[in-house]
Amino acid sequence: MAIEDDVLVIGGGLAGATAALAAADQGGRVRLVSAKQSTLRHASGLIDVLGYTPSGEGPLSDPFAAIPDLPRGHPYERVGPDAVHEALDFFDAIAGDAYAGAGTESNALVMTFGGTVKPTARYPTATAAGLASDDRDALLVGFETLPDFDAPLSAAHLESAGVPFAVRGVTVRFPGLARDDAKLTRYAHLLDRDERVSAAGGSGAREALAATVEPHVAGASRVGFPAVLGDERADEVRADLADRLGAEVFEVPMGPPSLPGVRLEELLYDALSDAGVRVTTGVPVVDYEPDAEGAGRIDRVVVDRNGTDVPHRADQYVLATGGLVGKGVRSDRERVFEPIFDCHVPHPADRYDWFVDDAFGDQPYAKFGLPVDRDLRPLDATGDPEFANLRAAGAIVGGYDFAAEKSGAGVSLATGSVAGRGAGAEVNDR
Amino acid sequence: MARDTEVLVLGGGSTGCGIARDLAMRGLEVTLVERGTLTDGTTGRMHGLLHSGGRYAVSDQASATECIEENEILREIAGHCVEMTGGLFVQRPEDPDDYFREKLAGCEACGIPARVLSGAQAREIEPYLAADVKRAIEVPDGAVDPFRLCVANAIDAESHGARIETRAEVIDLLRDGDDIYGVEVRHGSGPGTRTSEATGTTEEITAEYVVNATGAWAGRIGAMADLEIEVRPSKGVMTIMNVRQVDTVINRCRPKGDADIVVPHETTAILGTTDEEVSDPDDYPEEQWEVDQMIDTLSELVPILAEARTIRSFWGVRPLYEPPGTGTTDPTDITRDFFLLDHADRDGVSGMSSIVGGKFTTYRAMAEEISDHVCEALGVSTSCTTADEPLPGSENLAVLERGMDDFGLRSPIARRSTQRLGSRSREVLETDEPNPVVCECEGVTRAEIQDAVSQTGADLNAVRIRTRASMGNCQGGFCCGPMANELHPTSDEETVHDALDELFQERWKGQRHALWGEQLSQAMLTYALHATTMNRDRDPANATAEIDFGAFDDGRAESNRIDPAGRTP
Amino acid sequence: MSDAERPTEGGTGDDFEPIQVFPEAEEMDLRPGADNCYKCSTCDTNCPVAEVDDEFPGPKFQGPEQWRLKRQDDHDVDDSVMKCSNCMRCDSACPSDVPLSQMHNTARGEYVDERMDTFSREYVRNRILANYRRLAPLGSMFPRTTNFVMGLSATQWLGEKLLGITSEREFPSFATETFREWWDKRGGAAASRKRAQEARERRGGDATSKLRAEDPRARRDQDSSASRGGTSDRTEPKRIAYFHGCYSNYNTPEVAKSLVRVYEHFGYEIVVPDQHCSGTPMFANGMIDDARRSAETNVRELAAALEDGADIVASCSSCSMSLRQEYPELFDLAGIEDVAANTWDAVEYLRVHEDLEAELEGSTVEDDLSFAYHAPCHARNQGLDGQTIELLSRIDGVEAHDVGDSCSGISGTYGWKAENYDTSMKIGAEMFEHMADANADTGLTECPTCSMQMEHGTGYEITHTLEVLDAALVGTETEGRTQ
Repeated sequence: MAIEDDVLVIGGGLAGATAALAAADQGGRVRLVSAKQSTLRHASGLIDVLGYTPSGEGPLSDPFAAIPDLPRGHPYERVGPDAVHEALDFFDAIAGDAYAGAGTESNALVMTFGGTVKPTARYPTATAAGLASDDRDALLVGFETLPDFDAPLSAAHLESAGVPFAVRGVTVRFPGLARDDAKLTRYAHLLDRDERVSAAGGSGAREALAATVEPHVAGASRVGFPAVLGDERADEVRADLADRLGAEVFEVPMGPPSLPGVRLEELLYDALSDAGVRVTTGVPVVDYEPDAEGAGRIDRVVVDRNGTDVPHRADQYVLATGGLVGKGVRSDRERVFEPIFDCHVPHPADRYDWFVDDAFGDQPYAKFGLPVDRDLRPLDATGDPEFANLRAAGAIVGGYDFAAEKSGAGVSLATGSVAGRGAGAEVNDR
Repeated sequence: MARDTEVLVLGGGSTGCGIARDLAMRGLEVTLVERGTLTDGTTGRMHGLLHSGGRYAVSDQASATECIEENEILREIAGHCVEMTGGLFVQRPEDPDDYFREKLAGCEACGIPARVLSGAQAREIEPYLAADVKRAIEVPDGAVDPFRLCVANAIDAESHGARIETRAEVIDLLRDGDDIYGVEVRHGSGPGTRTSEATGTTEEITAEYVVNATGAWAGRIGAMADLEIEVRPSKGVMTIMNVRQVDTVINRCRPKGDADIVVPHETTAILGTTDEEVSDPDDYPEEQWEVDQMIDTLSELVPILAEARTIRSFWGVRPLYEPPGTGTTDPTDITRDFFLLDHADRDGVSGMSSIVGGKFTTYRAMAEEISDHVCEALGVSTSCTTADEPLPGSENLAVLERGMDDFGLRSPIARRSTQRLGSRSREVLETDEPNPVVCECEGVTRAEIQDAVSQTGADLNAVRIRTRASMGNCQGGFCCGPMANELHPTSDEETVHDALDELFQERWKGQRHALWGEQLSQAMLTYALHATTMNRDRDPANATAEIDFGAFDDGRAESNRIDPAGRTP
Repeated sequence: MSDAERPTEGGTGDDFEPIQVFPEAEEMDLRPGADNCYKCSTCDTNCPVAEVDDEFPGPKFQGPEQWRLKRQDDHDVDDSVMKCSNCMRCDSACPSDVPLSQMHNTARGEYVDERMDTFSREYVRNRILANYRRLAPLGSMFPRTTNFVMGLSATQWLGEKLLGITSEREFPSFATETFREWWDKRGGAAASRKRAQEARERRGGDATSKLRAEDPRARRDQDSSASRGGTSDRTEPKRIAYFHGCYSNYNTPEVAKSLVRVYEHFGYEIVVPDQHCSGTPMFANGMIDDARRSAETNVRELAAALEDGADIVASCSSCSMSLRQEYPELFDLAGIEDVAANTWDAVEYLRVHEDLEAELEGSTVEDDLSFAYHAPCHARNQGLDGQTIELLSRIDGVEAHDVGDSCSGISGTYGWKAENYDTSMKIGAEMFEHMADANADTGLTECPTCSMQMEHGTGYEITHTLEVLDAALVGTETEGRTQ
């Protein structure tokens, strides 16, 4: 026999977790199977909904105003504008105090670690004081041992982007590290646990860091750090530093590995646990068996558990295995494909047509993914659903460039909640 | 009439830099001009093979003999640029026995140490060779870093008083009747360092003698003085693998053909190559079939290549030349020998010689010959010392190897850094400042980046070729930002910004030829990082229209805003 | 590198070892594994050691970066590789399938071979820790004396000074009767066959085991001559081979006994093949040769059991991990792939092959119990992290709290080393706190060394999931607890 559930969600990123939560909301028994850690750890933890139109207009201060004009096939067009709103409400309820931005329809502009600003709809509380659309003067602090973020250079770049506040940058040594190649989690752990750091006469890491930064604050009302300020106790770390510095403290979201991404993941997995979703991690779904009787249905999928095939069966399936980065979409020299169900992935036959010459041009590869119907069922080459009981959500859905539009998290939330709700409802109707 | 310099060398490739070093060491006053950065032409676009001569042992024994001689010299004077990998000429069952015997005999005739290995012995050396390879000839091929070697020549020339001027494009030859007495250059745009003149300006540089060492571009220089130089540029593709599948140079032992060599190069393996004549060395098609041919044909020798990850491909143009009237149609049949064209003898125009043809391994011998010629023309009698004097970084290498120091780095990083820096390692890597790794793929630390920046200024592509930073599997996705950060605050924000964009686009260019599988996933991750997380694609600093910051959420209208310090904002 | 013709030293190409393709671990070239890495650092964020120890550069450097920077004849594996605790969390973290733990294991093997002085205190200590199984029989021969001697402060002091084994920990006590002694006394496989037969007859009316025919692997294998233990016929014998590992044998035989009772309850006949250490502590200490010797025995015996129609189950999550993943990654022995593909975690096997949840539904245990459950890293790596909580929720009166996904910090022999003790406890701090917060009666896990750490850090008494299943499904009816 197989391990049985009502809804099986494949993929444990933002879309998969949202789908599982939305399905569980409908009352069924839901399992989420995730092969590896999701790409949440690559992402900034910001919830972008739509920052630019597909033709590049923006930054959009109101993402919702632009959604009705999106082209046919765009995931937001598939689910409809209301579903995007509902998905954000759903997220806001899950995130609670951990995220801000729900009080307005407008996008915020957030300082990025490259010194640019970007539009986003929801941001972690840790970043709330780091908006570029906030006019208070800021100090950015970088660390000598983290070459990714050069605070003085970022400050200079922000000024050339015309931000409405004065911003300075300073580079300091992070107290208490023995090696120059300590991992980001080490910085966070030192602060989380407020470990004694010998370099500063045995004071705690927070006090030592504040003492290092304090002379540079010079009247700035907010101080930004790269996103390493604690993990489990991030709020406490930030509050402690703010007290000591006499200024608000915020994090500038960083590239991979991203602690804000890790924290979002933890938040989602706590919610899954609270919702009674069964979570199986660390093992990939590698194959499926079609239903012997009803054509066009998936009977079960095969999970590869370190070389052993373990069957999992459900009534409804949600595929949220990610795009090219998450490897829900793969490619070789000849073709682009979806590896589990071999769903249709439209792409030019010649791989030299998968890209354009400008790195930031209109990149075809960025839009690779599955075409879906309005219920988010993947469609085959003739436009018919691949399977009656399979839905897709998140970056595996094609037809949009999340990087250019700044729409990745929003699409994952919208498609995840629509797919999960649809799957859960279908189980109930059965 | 007073001249600016005694000798003016055109072209900053291996030949030009070699000539500059040679003449400077003989005490001459030398200026070298290069339109891009050093090695931008053919030198930076070769597979990095240090020939044993084995490849020419059947077809061109004179070249083969010269190769083995120079091979031995370079191992002595440029130890930190050379890795003595050894090489194999591998015979597959379908490859001709006759040729294998000829190759072996040819090696013997040219003084190239060679021995025959069974298929099993060859696979013991290189486990990823195909299971059915028949046998192999082992020769002392090596791998050489052309960037490092060329730069070392330039640095040494400078230390002997030469002026090395990059991003200075020759726009005209100065000619007085039948005498060429200098060039006019335009100092280039872009963030590269310029030792004297500002961007966009022109400068006349006069000289007693001009050496045209522009290789495949020699015809263009000649045309400026109505001289006809029949260069036959021929393009070849090279495909770079992400890791070294082999640690020995693998040659296919058959008469001739494309896609017959794999060269282990630093952390990568380079597959080569093709040979196809082009009309314009700056503009020729780079095509998919060429890349596919490298992978498909070479995986007959090393099957794992079929599934392995390539990180980019690049093309180079050989500066082939044959004397007028030879009429060879297939470029693979054109000699690899070099030619010294004295335009006084040849065309009745004095003051300039051109050097064409030739190959990287023998760059020093070519430089010696043309330097002798120049000295003769100028009546200078000092002789060449380049075969005996080690290049900077190669002094006392044996001492360095014995006392291998970790400089506080993890040992594989220390080893790779030391291999790149040679005897300069201590000077560069010993620092009291934090020295984090900036490029993780290649193990390049801040100290090494800073050393390169001090040589090149705000030109990240020049930093790249000196350090290998951004040449690993992420192709700069993660490290080009941190590399740019190292330029600040010496360079201002705008310069850093431009340098970053330039490196980012350059890295993308070569990667386009490797966009499938892992590298496509990597490219998407890079795109997401730079466009999504950093919004570099829509950077408001580049935009013409100003942003209305007031129209956006300022965080204070929030009902659910949490102030971590418990204060109300 | 699957070149079967690869010659051994001497290079004539004529004589090669047909079974062991990699005569020395350092000849393994894992550079191609670096092809999958796209540098996202997800592995680093999952590394419990890098988080508390800034001397450890994390799995990305230890794995794909170090391998990529390597040349065939380089022998300078960075010494930080010995700081890796072999929890293998990086393996299941990597979104791009880089064989991280294989790279670590191989690099560690190289490091120990090339760089470590075999007379050094560290080497001797590691060898002793890695070869626990060789010492255990001695301790077990005179368990009371051993327990007494090992508990003496003088012994512990000597352990620390001479060998660098921390004196902070108490040595596990040895059972007065090993599992194998109990098993033999009980009548071995013959008795088990009889009990299983009885159970099947008793269960005859239940609609339980229709699974075999539906198992996709079984279906795929149906043409092959070696059937994996029968068809859907309920009275058909069902057989498993039990890999108990060292710890269940010498230290916690109750776990092994519970497994026997639970499987017999479902009608399985149990065989207990001869076996050596699974190799986990040897991999972790770079003792690849020792591990290979053990693997040769285990693979031979388990492959024979497979031939006899038994699937393999293990009760220790590190043992199942080793047989399933590390064996085929590191060794090339005849039958090793087959053994790996047919080895199961004991609870998971029942979950897939029986309707375990239905069986547990509404079952009870004697006294209501609440558990603080920690999923061992090696269970997490096999996707088993959720199953205990899922199953225990079906038992009336049992409450189980998952204490989160942090690592216990002991990682087998790692936390026994004096130089790692503090780090180990720092890693465990989060788990200790969550266990305390859970305010449960008993701790619960499937890994013997995790259970040592849990006990050491919290004072909880620790039990194994199989013991809870035993209590719920079998209770005290069938067989005296004292047996």
